[in-house]
Amino acid sequence: MKSAVSLLRRLARTVLVVFLVVFGSTVLIRFAPGYLSDVREMDARYGDAARTELSAEAARSSSVRQMLSTEMSAWANGSLGLSRQYDVPVLELVLPRLAVTGSLMLRAIVFAWSLAVGASLLSNAGRNPSLLWQAPTTLLLAVPTSAIATICLLAGSGGPVLVMTLLLAARDFKFLDRLLRQAWRSPHLLQAKAQGLTTLHLVRAHILPNVASQLLALATLSIVTALSALVPVEVIFSVPGLGQLAWNAAMNRDLPVLLAVTMIMAIAVTCVGMASDRSADWQGA
Amino acid sequence: MRGRVLASWLLLGMVLIAIAVVAAPGSSYSNQDRDLPLAGSSAHHPAGTDALGRDRMVRVAAAYLLCLAGAICASAITTAAAAGVGTLSAFSPESLGRLGMLVCDVFLALPWLFLLMMVRSALPLTTSPAHSAAITFLVLATLGWPACARAVYRGACDLRNAEWVLQVRAGGLRGRQIARHVLPNLVPLLIPQFLICIPAFIIAEANLGALGLGIGEPLPSWGGMLLELDNSAMLLQTRWVYLPIALLILILLLLEAIAVEA
Repeated sequence: MKSAVSLLRRLARTVLVVFLVVFGSTVLIRFAPGYLSDVREMDARYGDAARTELSAEAARSSSVRQMLSTEMSAWANGSLGLSRQYDVPVLELVLPRLAVTGSLMLRAIVFAWSLAVGASLLSNAGRNPSLLWQAPTTLLLAVPTSAIATICLLAGSGGPVLVMTLLLAARDFKFLDRLLRQAWRSPHLLQAKAQGLTTLHLVRAHILPNVASQLLALATLSIVTALSALVPVEVIFSVPGLGQLAWNAAMNRDLPVLLAVTMIMAIAVTCVGMASDRSADWQGA
Repeated sequence: MRGRVLASWLLLGMVLIAIAVVAAPGSSYSNQDRDLPLAGSSAHHPAGTDALGRDRMVRVAAAYLLCLAGAICASAITTAAAAGVGTLSAFSPESLGRLGMLVCDVFLALPWLFLLMMVRSALPLTTSPAHSAAITFLVLATLGWPACARAVYRGACDLRNAEWVLQVRAGGLRGRQIARHVLPNLVPLLIPQFLICIPAFIIAEANLGALGLGIGEPLPSWGGMLLELDNSAMLLQTRWVYLPIALLILILLLLEAIAVEA
């Protein structure tokens, strides 16, 4: 019963956060200084009457209340709004790209975790933090994602999965290495090692249960990092995913599409955060 | 500690060199030498010119100064906002504190780059380059504070439960006086937050600029100069195109070194 109440409370908080995200984004967009200007007004093919109509249309949908109700009704009827650029429901644009982005992210996260866990286990085999592992990760974190992607593209080696894997692995390794080093040096493990327990047994029975909640938090962070890296990677490698759709929408001021993609990302992050918190609670129990 | 001091001196030295390059008579980041587009190194243009014939060294120096100054200002705003929200949430009644952290959750639920793109794309079509630079860093500052605020909140909660704070609160100390006593104790927490934000904001600007949504031309920026790397024909013509990315990585490594040791 207590568990169900806690789950419901978390669910309510998630719904509230998502609603506030929708509200906050709408307010932010509405009060951005160029909200009322439309890129079509600069198009020479539109006549004066059409431009006046465009301005009137923008002015009609200028109240936050109206924007929110339009947004909510679009989400309620499942169309997610109407794209200004393509004049089709946003859902039609989002659905095929969701699979592409999901597959890219999943592969990158799986490869990155494998790489980071392997590297941190090897790094922890030594007595002190090894420069061999620390230097490449520090260097990778200092290079903007777009630059890594451009360099890979120019070199003709590696694709979007490799770039995202490297970026995520570098971040995950920094955290995992520190976590394992701390766990490995705790007094009870030193004693267990001295008594001759095998490394595999120590990892399975003592280290993993202790660091499980931090690993779940790191998994959430990996997803957030992957989402942030998505736009430059998909744009530079021309991957037809959600990141590229968002970039196209930003370049063409297609705010309904951009708002819908941002909402999807926010919902994904919030749900993953909630799942991670819940799993951490179970671990704790 | 030695690494931090060395990195600080190196960065300061680079700032002085950049100021000297930008302030040298006759140098301008927007002057175009139309006879010499994509020129190699020469006495007049030590790092060559870009596709429009603009001196690459002056542009790199100006981009370094602009982005560093912008990132430092944005980081200061972020840290101040985080200190305010974190401390207020910790020392307010519990319901207000929860509300403060809920606002942080809302901001943290939004991936930075998407929100930045959303705000940048809603700017007027006629935004001037100087305004676009100011807005870019202001938006970064506006979106960067929640993660810091959470860290400050945790630190402030520890302080709130400390015996000396309980004692002074029981002694009738008022809110403003509490802030005067508590904030100096949070400085060791705020300085690393401030230092961590600087490279993060520089990277965010570079990523935005590389997508064409950063600081407008002709103002030079790291992101704008990374766009040059997209042109493979240009890369074959001159190796100086790699100068901005090489310097950017060096600067970020130095800033990271300072932040890590703080």
